[in-house]
Amino acid sequence: MELERISVVLRPRAPREALDLGAVMLRANARAVWSAWFAFTLPVFVTCNALGVALGLPWLGLVLMWWLKPLFDRLPLYVLSRAVFDRAPGWRETLRGQGQWPWGNTWVALSWLRIDSNRSLRLPLELLEGLPGKQRSARWSVLRRRIVADASLLTYGCLQFELVLFLSVWLLALLLIPREWLPDSLPAFFRVDVHAASTVWMLLTSAVAYLAMSAIEPLYVACGFALYLNRRTQLEAWDIDLAFRRLRERLQASGKTLAVLLACACCWPLAGHATSSPQGSRVTTPTSLEQVFTQPVDGADQQRFEAAATEVYRDPRFGGERKVREWVLKHPSAPQPTATPMQPLFPAFAGMVATILKLALWLLVAVAIGALLRFVWRWRGTRVHIDVGSTTPLPTLRTHVVADVPLPADLAGAIRTLWRAQRQREALALLYRGCVEQTTRLLQLPMSIDATEAYWLRQATTMADQARAQRVVAIVRTWQFAAYAGRYPDDAVVESLLVGWPVQVGAPA
Amino acid sequence: MLDTVREIETPEGISLRLRAAGALPRAQAWMLDALLRLGVFMLAMIPLSLLGVGGNGLAMLLMFGLMWAYSVVCEVWMNGQTVGKRMLGLRVVNADGTPVTWVPSVVRNLLRVVDALPGVYGVGLACTLIDPHARRLGDIIAGTMVVHTSELPAGAQVPTVAAIPPPVVLAADEQAALVEFAERSGQLTLQRQEELANLLMSLTGRRDTAAVSQLIAHANWLLGRA
Repeated sequence: MELERISVVLRPRAPREALDLGAVMLRANARAVWSAWFAFTLPVFVTCNALGVALGLPWLGLVLMWWLKPLFDRLPLYVLSRAVFDRAPGWRETLRGQGQWPWGNTWVALSWLRIDSNRSLRLPLELLEGLPGKQRSARWSVLRRRIVADASLLTYGCLQFELVLFLSVWLLALLLIPREWLPDSLPAFFRVDVHAASTVWMLLTSAVAYLAMSAIEPLYVACGFALYLNRRTQLEAWDIDLAFRRLRERLQASGKTLAVLLACACCWPLAGHATSSPQGSRVTTPTSLEQVFTQPVDGADQQRFEAAATEVYRDPRFGGERKVREWVLKHPSAPQPTATPMQPLFPAFAGMVATILKLALWLLVAVAIGALLRFVWRWRGTRVHIDVGSTTPLPTLRTHVVADVPLPADLAGAIRTLWRAQRQREALALLYRGCVEQTTRLLQLPMSIDATEAYWLRQATTMADQARAQRVVAIVRTWQFAAYAGRYPDDAVVESLLVGWPVQVGAPA
Repeated sequence: MLDTVREIETPEGISLRLRAAGALPRAQAWMLDALLRLGVFMLAMIPLSLLGVGGNGLAMLLMFGLMWAYSVVCEVWMNGQTVGKRMLGLRVVNADGTPVTWVPSVVRNLLRVVDALPGVYGVGLACTLIDPHARRLGDIIAGTMVVHTSELPAGAQVPTVAAIPPPVVLAADEQAALVEFAERSGQLTLQRQEELANLLMSLTGRRDTAAVSQLIAHANWLLGRA
């Protein structure tokens, strides 16, 4: 089996969708399937019915044809299995090919497994895989696992369809009898014809049943085969297999430039894995343009670039030829002469009107400019000065506070020094950090890097000591105002915050 | 390549894939609907039979409603699904993929008369078997089709391992194949996983188990995991 040559789209489908794929496969190979089907079954049909008539048992033809279905099933399966992976064989080839397939299972299906609702699924397993007994039953138990219900439903569905087609023929014939005749003809039919010409009617029934079977049985086999294909796609990931093969082909086809890349690719993860722990291998990617284009551009580079570009454009997604179809008039109508502008009746008068209108337009422009100037004059004093000062303290915003650095032993002193040195933001940041650390220690919380100010405010409410909680809230608020609004407290407030708990560790609040 | 999908491309360049439902699932859905309607009718007949002639009239009205209005009402108000269709994961949509509206739904259900013609849906069956999108006459005329809506349960989550970028730039379908491999590798036997991974020797530069894990690492990278 060469998976690359498969002619159906493989993707994991729900079993019900797979059934529809079977119908599509059958439609695409209808000619091959039915030519082989009729080439084999028509002689059998004639023989069976002749046998029935000869033995004086006209119903024998009908029963025999039904009984031999598993034998007939081999033909559509042969055609479809070849058509899917290769090309549809002709009917002679199909009939000859039957010899290659094992017969044992067909005898089983014709005897004690004749009434088996999973026949459609069993067929491809037995005929296409041809495994010996024990392996086959193990394989069967894996294959049928999720789809046995769908296979049974398929059997009953096809039985139903056959019945529908069979009845349709009779009902259609009934519809064609004129209404007025019905009351007379129907009783006469059942009273006389059925008994007098029972053989003829039996043969007719047999023929209609044969036609219905001919229409539906290949569908049954095709749907079973599609179920089988889908299950194997699921079990063996055929679609991924195909995609990988395509990828491999592309990689191998894209020549020298890739070979260099691949050489890198093969050595460089290996080297990485050899030196580092299994999970720690992280490939460093170039981060700046200078790293990417380390070498200066010269003639050789230009050539290499052109080679790479041609390589890229060889990809079918770029360029290539496309056929565009469009409708063009067979007899294009002659271009109509462009309408010449109407000659004015009184040239002098028209010229005067044009001049007046032109003057009016200039006047309009002048009025517009005048209005604009007046607007500017009128609103000149009321311009709103947007305070750009709030964006100026950028330098202080850039200061980095490294949270990992341990706090100074004399926290209050350090804060005071910073505050006096006009580094207010850093001073308050230090104060906030000190407060956070003390709160963490007091509440015995785990250190967490993602705790926000709101988190500490929430923690403050859980503190037993109300005074301390208030101090935490005061410090956090002060810090928030400073950090996010640029509103700094005056010296007295800062001084009050520096006295007592959190800053002086042992002190009460 | 044979498939049941009808592909429609919107002006925005998005391709919609309508997976046409064939004769078998549709017949099953119809059978469920028929049984349901029969059940409802029989249940309703128990009290109605006590009402004499008036009850008969009501029963006739109910039958009319079940025969003609049931499908239209279900299709328009239940997202294109009658109860049977919902149980089988089917849906009626317009041929361009938009939800079915009143007029197409009424047309396709009125033309059921033609599809049911010799009395046992013979015309409809023949038509669904012949039409490439398995539409019956009513569908063809109303410009609708029946599609599968149920998705296969997606494969398992891709196991998280340290991501490794693939050494070459992959096309979209190739990326999809790698991710699909990582998702479905749990459903495959170990030997099959290795067999598949060995196909990509030229990408991974490894064999067997190492190749499998390398591919899964690539899939992690493609999924945007650090």
